[in-house]
Amino acid sequence: MKRDKKRINVRAYLYSLPMGIWVTLFFAIPIAIILIYSFLEKGLYGGVEWRASLAAYKAILNPNFLIVIWRTVYISVIATAICLLLSFPASYAMARSRHQTLFLFLIIIPFWTNSLIRVYAWINLLSTEGLINNVLIKLGIISEPIPMIYNLFSVILVLVYMYLPFAILPLFTAIDRFDFSLLDAARDLGCGRLRAIILVMFPAIRSGFFNALIFTLIPIFGAYTVPLLVGGMGSTMVGNIIVDQVQKTRNWPLASAFSVILTLISMIGVMAMLGSGKKKEEMNEKLL
Amino acid sequence: MRKLLLPLAIILLLLSSCSKDEEKRTLHLYNWTYYMPESIVTAFEEEYGCDVVIDYFSSNEEMFAKLQAGGGKGYDIIFPSADYTSIMIKLDMLSLIDHEKIPNLRYIPSIVKDKATYDPEMEYSVPYFMGAAGIAVNKTLAPENYERSWMIFSDERMKGRMTLLDDMREVLGDALKTLGYSNNTSNEEELEEAARIVREEWKPNIVKFDAESFAKSFARGEFAVVHCYPENIVSELSEEQMANVDFFLPETGGSMYIDNMVILKDSEEKDLAHAFINFVHEPKNYAVFLDEFSFPPTTNTEAEKFMTTTPLFTSEDLENYEVLIDVDEDLEKYNRLWEPIRYTN
Repeated sequence: MKRDKKRINVRAYLYSLPMGIWVTLFFAIPIAIILIYSFLEKGLYGGVEWRASLAAYKAILNPNFLIVIWRTVYISVIATAICLLLSFPASYAMARSRHQTLFLFLIIIPFWTNSLIRVYAWINLLSTEGLINNVLIKLGIISEPIPMIYNLFSVILVLVYMYLPFAILPLFTAIDRFDFSLLDAARDLGCGRLRAIILVMFPAIRSGFFNALIFTLIPIFGAYTVPLLVGGMGSTMVGNIIVDQVQKTRNWPLASAFSVILTLISMIGVMAMLGSGKKKEEMNEKLL
Repeated sequence: MRKLLLPLAIILLLLSSCSKDEEKRTLHLYNWTYYMPESIVTAFEEEYGCDVVIDYFSSNEEMFAKLQAGGGKGYDIIFPSADYTSIMIKLDMLSLIDHEKIPNLRYIPSIVKDKATYDPEMEYSVPYFMGAAGIAVNKTLAPENYERSWMIFSDERMKGRMTLLDDMREVLGDALKTLGYSNNTSNEEELEEAARIVREEWKPNIVKFDAESFAKSFARGEFAVVHCYPENIVSELSEEQMANVDFFLPETGGSMYIDNMVILKDSEEKDLAHAFINFVHEPKNYAVFLDEFSFPPTTNTEAEKFMTTTPLFTSEDLENYEVLIDVDEDLEKYNRLWEPIRYTN
């Protein structure tokens, strides 16, 4: 018995080795480099000087940057909330439909096209001279084009479009696994339809919901191309500043410090959500 | 570990075998994306019986970061702009240019050398092209009497239909030149005055700072006025569309660039590199490059004879233009003024 256990341990270690190497090489080490760089002095021509400094973190406190950080949080929260609100009915309908495969297929199809091309397609749709405005004007619904692009609206809209599938897929998987007869049981016991969904179904699909939240919130938080291409004057996000600091102003420590802040904020967010999720689960278990 | 060793060994074997077989000489270039017609490179390969391998970059910073990280080994010729050429000279990264080996240097006019204050004798760098960003106006969308100067961006009649380049040095530089100052100034009062123009007079009328996708929208008639490099719009607009476009460089002057060809100190094919630079400046070849982008023969006067296109601007237009050079520590002063312009409403 003992030998078997040992063998299993060795095997487990071997099996997890590739993943471990991968995570160390491409996740832990880069993050460590970013963290170290953020505490160094900037080099005159880019790069870093190996002298410890808090200059980068002091620079972030500059009000211009704080505005951008606040804007990034604001855009991310709204876009994620819309993604989740839209993904629940969609996943529910998919899970109950007879044409599941077809719907899954439809959701995956856009990924066959490069995301940049899809952003450019949105530019064509939303422009003042674009398809939507032209059609509305031809139909006589509006007389002047609506400004739909180069503002916060277009940034949030395109972000929702880009990341909605990442919310639908995990949520769909969770709902699909849910035993719908439980809903019938709840109703037999005198629970209303909506209450049944909220009280019985929601707790059961919580993990799918958190996955959806994480898969949308984190990438949106680090968005770069969408605010760059469809954003206007006041829609720069932290991702854009990071690129500017590396590519234009040659301030690598500041870019690193921004990355550290991004990582920290999203990590704290995720941990808090996971924590509250667990607590509720425990409470539910006690109740049961 | 053993499992890893075998593929590693195979890779190493493959790598060593390719360098052994290589008897053909190879020239390695590191150039801007879409900045040299392929036909010039192929013609050089045929004439010299060698291979030319080209890697591309899309910004000076990207190129320089790669060199600094040690990724520049093996490159022979690089095409940095003026500011980075001066940095590379300062950091002793470049090889001296042997003028004997490049007789075509005689076609480079003195105006280019005068403007190349960082290397006027072409000791370390040979100008590839000198040009400037200007203003393109879609005449069908703009009112008839628009101002042909940088102050066109103050014109409220085109509010929300104009873009400026997302480039701090270009935009602040143009405002500085409009005020009659140098676009490489380190004087804070001059900078503040220029930033005020951008912030209060230009910014309220422009829809965004854009260096990526504005040309497509300009082609579609979304934007009426764009701050751009001529090649941006030439590559995006058809000839009929170009007929409705007024591209001009404001007379008050503005920011100009010189892109250079430099040979790295570590280059192992210095002779071939010199031959290539000479080949590029052969007027017949150089004209192919100019025609491709509707550029004027600013940097090689002799090439004009072989050109088949009419350039979008002329060498004379550049008279009041000043080359953007590296401002070292003073870059921070520019940053501080640019951040509120760029990042806040």
